[in-house]
Amino acid sequence: MSGPVIYWRDRILAFTPGESVAHALTRAGIAAFGPGPVGVPRAVFCGIGQCQMCLVQIDGRTVEACLTLCRDGLRVGPEQEINHD
Amino acid sequence: MDDLGRYDAIVLGAGVIGASTAWHLVQAGLSVALVDAEGPAAAASGASDGAVSVASKKPGPLARLATASLLYTRNLAADGPLMHGYHPRPTYIFGSGPAEGAAIDALIAKLDALGDAVRLRRDGAADLLPGTGASVERLVELTGEGHMPGYVAVAGYLRDPRIVKIWPARVRGLEETDAGVIVDLGTRRLHASRVIAALGVSTTTLFPQMPVIPRAGQLFVTDRGAPGALPGALTSAAYLLAKTTDMTALPRPPVVIDPLSTGQYLIGSTREDHADPGRVDFATLQKLMTRAAETWPALRNRRVIRAFAGVRAAVSDGLPIVGLAPGSTRVTLATGFEGDGICLSAVIGREVARMAADEAPTPALSGDLAALAPTRFTALQEGAA
Amino acid sequence: MTKAQVLVVGAGLAGVGAAVELARAGQPVLVADRAPRAGGAIHRQPLPGRAAISSHAARWDRLIAEAQALPIDWAFETKFAGLDHTGTALLSGATNRLMRPAALVLALGAREAVRPRTGWTLPNVTTAGALQIELKTQGLAPQGRVLLAGNGPLLIAVAAQMTRLGNPPVAIVESAAPFAHPLHSLALPLSYLREAAGYMATLIRARVPILTRAEVVAIRAEGTALSVRVETPKGPRVFTVDRVGLHDGIRKNDGGVTACAAVPVLALGDCAEVLGARAALASGRAGGIALARALTNGTPRETVPSTTLVRERAAQQRLARIYAHDAMARLADLPGGTVICRCEGGTLDDLRALGPTPRVRELRLLGRFGMGPCQGRSCGEWVARASADDPGLPPPDTPLGRARWPLAPIAIADLIAATSDTGAAPLPSEGT
Repeated sequence: MSGPVIYWRDRILAFTPGESVAHALTRAGIAAFGPGPVGVPRAVFCGIGQCQMCLVQIDGRTVEACLTLCRDGLRVGPEQEINHD
Repeated sequence: MDDLGRYDAIVLGAGVIGASTAWHLVQAGLSVALVDAEGPAAAASGASDGAVSVASKKPGPLARLATASLLYTRNLAADGPLMHGYHPRPTYIFGSGPAEGAAIDALIAKLDALGDAVRLRRDGAADLLPGTGASVERLVELTGEGHMPGYVAVAGYLRDPRIVKIWPARVRGLEETDAGVIVDLGTRRLHASRVIAALGVSTTTLFPQMPVIPRAGQLFVTDRGAPGALPGALTSAAYLLAKTTDMTALPRPPVVIDPLSTGQYLIGSTREDHADPGRVDFATLQKLMTRAAETWPALRNRRVIRAFAGVRAAVSDGLPIVGLAPGSTRVTLATGFEGDGICLSAVIGREVARMAADEAPTPALSGDLAALAPTRFTALQEGAA
Repeated sequence: MTKAQVLVVGAGLAGVGAAVELARAGQPVLVADRAPRAGGAIHRQPLPGRAAISSHAARWDRLIAEAQALPIDWAFETKFAGLDHTGTALLSGATNRLMRPAALVLALGAREAVRPRTGWTLPNVTTAGALQIELKTQGLAPQGRVLLAGNGPLLIAVAAQMTRLGNPPVAIVESAAPFAHPLHSLALPLSYLREAAGYMATLIRARVPILTRAEVVAIRAEGTALSVRVETPKGPRVFTVDRVGLHDGIRKNDGGVTACAAVPVLALGDCAEVLGARAALASGRAGGIALARALTNGTPRETVPSTTLVRERAAQQRLARIYAHDAMARLADLPGGTVICRCEGGTLDDLRALGPTPRVRELRLLGRFGMGPCQGRSCGEWVARASADDPGLPPPDTPLGRARWPLAPIAIADLIAATSDTGAAPLPSEGT
């Protein structure tokens, strides 16, 4: 892949500049963003940062995938897997 | 107006003190109604951090009563109403700079004098607890204390079906006669031989002569994460000082970092003289959180999802009010715990129930309970007149 | 000292409309929005190089050209956490700042309501609004087999937009019977009829089935697909699809900002009253003019009664009648294990376990409803209705307790990094 990419687990995903992490994952067929802390799976729901369902981990921090823009080289993972603090 | 029921005792206020008192009264075989304007744990008890801590109590009667209550809470948690409410956990007190260091030394001396219910386990620096930030110069670990969220304790006591629960019902007035006390709820009246008023910040609506004032503390809750990383609350020595020192004169922000069973953190807190649970401000949040994240750096990756102020019922002289209301033979007050009610509730509920049944207090506690008598304010007023 | 900025939260029609009028009147303005670009929900802008889908692009182009000619500051990818009692606002995200605005304009847009259903928490089940955002941003229809379900005119609009982009939805499942009210419909403003007729023509041409008085009763995951059970007046049907878009109307959205004596607060556009795009722009402009006048002359902040607002209000009331149906019966019929509160995983059974008509404190502390990161903004309506004596009554404005900041979770690292121009010092700073 020559253009900018983000990483989801072991996958490399191309994105269009200005695209949200949620949309890049959705286009790649990734809808399940991992388990949530209470049994409700993490996934896009409202798409505008209101519902707090699409949380993922980026650089150790919990962020809304729908509000976070892709940057080249960004490593994105499920909220729960990486959150061992 | 409907006359609705006669009880041996009516407890006003379904916070942790009222719930414990009601539970102890029904164990003694009395018929009990518990009345609240809102519902269970609607005020300070529902907004508390839940620390069952002797370390945070002022030396003297409060610290001694807290020690007795801690031991009794462990019993009630072994096979009683607090079985799912109380969990033992270590307590960490931290500080930086000379003023906080001196406060920690004073704490150790206080605990020594109180016997071995709470013991100093380790005294060192940040490396004593993995995950603590390097900015922490002094860190001590105490054992013997525990955690009990106020609303969980209330729910535990209220599980006894013999307690008649009446809410939402606001008490309009009390009328004391030779035969008993009439509790006026506006549309209906209740009768009882004895009334226990555990009204917290609402005390002055029925007892305006009692110097109970609201004292708010800002609290901030983070999102969930992996639980268990921090085994017990991390309390700054400045927070201990805040009980006796003006906010602006503290050496550092008075931070408490309390890990919750949900994997969230509860971060506090201030002491401010007002009663508005919505009064929280970003400047305080930023200052408390800056110190909190320096102390426990994992917080840097968390988010604050909720902010509110818990409103404690404080008393002008810094001691709770427990005993017969001035001029009354049937109405007992139990209020003004200023955030210490969670820890004290077990023993206070038991002792107030004894008072209401005309039994003598537990001998070892009688002196310290006498120091809490409401008559100390009437004596002052008479002396001043 | 420079004059304090008016903080406008939301860069949609209402927010930019207000900012334009404020800036024109000489007020310094800062517009903050979570999104990377101005546009809001209605005029959500496409990625660079993609085609715009918005049906009234010219209206937005004019407005944004006006804004760009004026001295307005912008803070995108930035969340507004709230306004505290001292008059301090917190912005976090790309801009991290504690500020004391001269006034606060809330132009947050509406909130999309989605009634709980069996399986509504599965991945690939989103709001219809989320599908529309995706479509507008990408300039492409969401891919795969898509079912749209729920209640309200947005379903038709999204379906038509998808159809025009080459992927018509498998079906629209509408709870109400909107076509059974021709007289109500004809009384709508011409602009509504024209837009609706355009959408309908597209859907009819593409033979998109519209099932009315129909209801999605369960969604199940089947491999990577979703199996959707639908009840219709003619009997049950099952659709196998890749994605489901749910939508049960839109609601106003001004909770979470408490009254503040120190700073004037003005809610404009759909967040104050759901009246749609035309009204949002009119409300934004009128609010901006009135606020600028109040800040300059100290004259009372009176918004001019606008004929646009009156007309749109009547139209929205008609639309509500056209789309009326008994949502509450459906809520009561849900299996007890259905999740009501998505944040904390609270189910209908958890709610019922609190007994009849639980108090707010019990809902929160024992049921944990409203205790998650969305603070009950999504579930409050349904928790209130499902636990009320009379579920037919409209739920209270704040069913899970008083409004509180933060409006959105605050990243602690951002908070610590926030600069402050407020000068407040109620507590000692670290190390002083």
